[in-house]
Amino acid sequence: MWITMGPQHPMTHGLWTLRVKVDGEIVTDSEPELGFIHRGVEKICESRDFTQITPYCDRLCYVSANTWAQAYVYAAEDLLEVEVPERAEYIRLIAVEIQRIASHLMWLGAYTPDVGNLTVFLYCWRDREMFVDLLQELGGSRLHYNFPRIGGVKRDLPIGFAQRARAKINIFFDRLREYERMLDESTIFLIRTQDIGCTKAEDLIAHGVSGPNLRAGGVNYDIRQANPYSVYEELDWEPAVESPSIKGGDSYDRYRVRMEEMRQSANMVLEALDKIPGGAETHHAPDDPAILAKAPLRAPEGASSMHRFEDSRGEAAFHIIGGGEQRGKYPYRISIRSPMFITIPYVTKVLIGHKIADIPAIFGSFDPCIGETDR
Amino acid sequence: MDWLDVRGFVEWSTDGVTQATIGQTRFWEYKDVVSTVLTEATMGGVVFGLIMGTVLMIIWIERKLIARLMDRRGAMTSMRSLWAGESGLDAGEWWRKVPYGIGSIIGRVIRLLQRIIGNSSKKPTVDRVNDRSYLGWPILPGMFQNVADGVKLLQKEWMVPKSADRMMFEAAPIIIISSTVVILGLIPLGPGIYGPDLQYGVLFAMAVFGVAPLGIFFAAWASNNKYALIGGIRSAAQLTAYEIPLLLVVLSVCILSGSFNFREIVQDQIDAHTWNIFIMPVGFLLFITTMVAEVERTPFDMPEAEAELVEGWWTEYGGLRWGLLFAVEYLRTYAACILTALFFLGGWQAPFAGLIAATPGIGEQLAFIYGLIPGVAWVLIKAWFVFTIFVWVRAALPRVRTDQILEFGWQWLLPLAVLNVLIAGMMRLFLYEPLTDGWFTWNIIPTMLLGSIPFLILIAYTSEEGEDATRPEPILVTDLSHNALATKAKQLDGADTV
Amino acid sequence: MATSLSTSANEASVNALVAATEKRFGGAGIEISTKKHAGGRHNHSYLTMTVPAQHLKSLAKWLKHEQNIDLCSLITGVHWPAKAPEQEWEVVYHLVRTTVRNPPVVEGSQTVGLRVDYNALPVSQTPLEIEIHVLLPSDSPVVDTVEDIWPSASWNEKETWDLVGIEFSGHQNLHRVLLPADTPVGYHPLQKQHKIRYHEFNEMYDDPQGFGRKPIDKDRVK
Repeated sequence: MWITMGPQHPMTHGLWTLRVKVDGEIVTDSEPELGFIHRGVEKICESRDFTQITPYCDRLCYVSANTWAQAYVYAAEDLLEVEVPERAEYIRLIAVEIQRIASHLMWLGAYTPDVGNLTVFLYCWRDREMFVDLLQELGGSRLHYNFPRIGGVKRDLPIGFAQRARAKINIFFDRLREYERMLDESTIFLIRTQDIGCTKAEDLIAHGVSGPNLRAGGVNYDIRQANPYSVYEELDWEPAVESPSIKGGDSYDRYRVRMEEMRQSANMVLEALDKIPGGAETHHAPDDPAILAKAPLRAPEGASSMHRFEDSRGEAAFHIIGGGEQRGKYPYRISIRSPMFITIPYVTKVLIGHKIADIPAIFGSFDPCIGETDR
Repeated sequence: MDWLDVRGFVEWSTDGVTQATIGQTRFWEYKDVVSTVLTEATMGGVVFGLIMGTVLMIIWIERKLIARLMDRRGAMTSMRSLWAGESGLDAGEWWRKVPYGIGSIIGRVIRLLQRIIGNSSKKPTVDRVNDRSYLGWPILPGMFQNVADGVKLLQKEWMVPKSADRMMFEAAPIIIISSTVVILGLIPLGPGIYGPDLQYGVLFAMAVFGVAPLGIFFAAWASNNKYALIGGIRSAAQLTAYEIPLLLVVLSVCILSGSFNFREIVQDQIDAHTWNIFIMPVGFLLFITTMVAEVERTPFDMPEAEAELVEGWWTEYGGLRWGLLFAVEYLRTYAACILTALFFLGGWQAPFAGLIAATPGIGEQLAFIYGLIPGVAWVLIKAWFVFTIFVWVRAALPRVRTDQILEFGWQWLLPLAVLNVLIAGMMRLFLYEPLTDGWFTWNIIPTMLLGSIPFLILIAYTSEEGEDATRPEPILVTDLSHNALATKAKQLDGADTV
Repeated sequence: MATSLSTSANEASVNALVAATEKRFGGAGIEISTKKHAGGRHNHSYLTMTVPAQHLKSLAKWLKHEQNIDLCSLITGVHWPAKAPEQEWEVVYHLVRTTVRNPPVVEGSQTVGLRVDYNALPVSQTPLEIEIHVLLPSDSPVVDTVEDIWPSASWNEKETWDLVGIEFSGHQNLHRVLLPADTPVGYHPLQKQHKIRYHEFNEMYDDPQGFGRKPIDKDRVK
């Protein structure tokens, strides 16, 4: 019997349909239907300036807006051959890592109600407020920031930002421990997530899954180190890796990887605030060359660029083909690689053999976001 | 017997009434029967009314406690929201819509109240996500929310799906609700407040309590909806699995008291000066666990699990039908809590009464004041306390998967319940001394030790599972070929670091 | 403590792959070159190849099995109506060599996670990126599927067919994935003849809901 977990469903974390074929409680086949919020971003961007495309990229994955805008901006900088000042790179890193924490908190707040615990849901919202406030100070609004510019950033760190960020992150470490005590030591959480949705590392990479889902399989492949960009190598950090069981990385491993990543990101932000050139207390005006380099408006003839980026959900990439003098202001074709577009069909295969009650436990642990899937 | 003897009053007055009416006619030999029937009916109504009246209290406890546990502060909706605005935002001048001109009077009252206790705070409307405490001092904080919810559900569409089996669809909530409500009239709430005093009251109550799964299954099948069907089947399996340990625990309580009568069970606890929770702690835990599963609350609420089944067997029910099912879930929970209070927590006996009376000097006066609290208040307070535990468990624990629930019920709770029955039997046979005027009815220390044997077994079995083995730390590799990795693994194996 | 891939390791691995590819496929019409990431602080190089469509499958198999390119990251279809008819369609494949291996088993049921030191790896295992261009003629935009080599290509190919119209022969199930299932056959919006409604940015502000527009079938006789 086919069950449709239709476009409107409390569990699916977005607007898509999951059709599962069940035999009693066991899933024997499944099939996703995507495309409900396909907004045609790739086509739209063919008639927009390079700077006008940045807000569109925020809206690709609205939960993790800064990372997508940055992914695009790095690709555009490759195309337009712009060198970014170092202070701007640090500010971008701070924004991206705070965004990563906020995105993972949103994931946790959506995952635990799937497993049944409603309390952690509200705790995560309480803590996400702190980080959304910080991002609001940087970018101006709470969800779509339009923060990076080609060549740098829109604004410098506000006065007192560093002090507020440090205070909030120190509170956050305690809260992380609270979550870990609540969930890691809960037998019910363990029996719901261990040995559920086991995935092996080589299967994952063959199917294109990357990011925390891949690191839960046992290898520390992280684009920030394998194809480096920005100033990550000047900070002291490690990608979070789990040692999974012989059956592969299960949902519990994916959960642990993200908790560790939150801690890593928080440490990175603290370190970046200490190491930022010029200090965290200086504030430059918005057009100052210390934070924004002048970028050409047109791409060279026949140029194209491809940049991969470590988004909170995996590998995001932008492939931009410039148009040269004729249409040089606008890209000729912009192609977006969304990690979730590749992961969701894979997860529907992972579901086979589990029970219906495991579907939210597995799907939630892969952290789906449909905005970037459908573009 | 405390001073609030409603039953005595009702009996006296119905006696008087029937004497004055029927006793003077030629049907005078039926006077006693009529008087009894009237008394039982009235008292049943009183008990029912009390329970229904106070069920609002437990809904309020649930909302408030869950909110505070989830770190949300402030009232959601209170009476005050009808007239108070927040920095210029309010419900609008809703009174103008009330017909027949009554609205203008309401409007005048509201403007008066707004002048006196209105809110003129300048804080922005939604200050922080979870903190609404800036609204100031509300009246009856949060009580109005339930009324508002009820009114909202009342005015929704009364809808039956076209391809649903209409008769069973409509009959199912009736079965569930009526089977729950029947019990409510039977439970004694105090030494002087009880309805019909059946000699086998406990059996009857448990039998009727168990009719509800039938209604649930009807609802699931008749809805003609795959989600509802899955939810209903899970529910039927779960409730059946947990009925049996429940009945066995109830049986063991009745063995301890030697009767199936509610009042005698409570009276035995009072006479023995110990509550059953101390004699049989495992029974208490079993009872609470199985009751949580019976009323389908988290962590056992898989049948209505929101995550995959939308609402499970409630999916097709909307409006007031859903509201009634929701209310009946709380009524069942309330009935379970009151039963816990009666079976295990000594019913209407005030705790520490003897200790208070023994205070040097002012003991008698304190005892007098303490004794002013009627027994019914103690039953309700204990029931609310047990409910608080239910709510705490709900806030803290995730949901257990259905097959894990069933495994838990059949493999762990059933043997423990059987063991409990055996122990109760042994305690009654060997450690029970019939009431002699004295202090103990139970030979208390051996009783407590014996009653805890299942507990010790449980602890012995579960404490070994403990922490899962610490996982090995990731290793640094510089060569990814298959041989190199295998060699590294062998090194780790041999090095015995994990 | 793994550090980022250094420029020298990257250069070495890219040059090694260029040499290996030229040795294996030199003369089959494949043009190989290296490009650098031009912006930012790390100017790492990557491989660019232009491959005729008939050699794609064998090249892909060789890359996957011999050179260990294990991730097919992105497949892009581009429509170039302005170019010569033999080059009207282009498919761009982005492939990546990652360092992902199944972690080795240590104790029966437990594995141990791996932390890879990118700079200490042998040259044939260092991570690198590859870009492959395949040019297709205008009357038959068909290319062999690579979904049997890299399963992640499956949905990328579906999307490319759905939006651009390039067919992948041998694909199991090409269906509409982002557009609705009842989209007319032959409608592929990312082709250049389909214009989006507001070509100019300012039109959006003048008439955002399109009240001033005429209906699409205004002049059609019904």
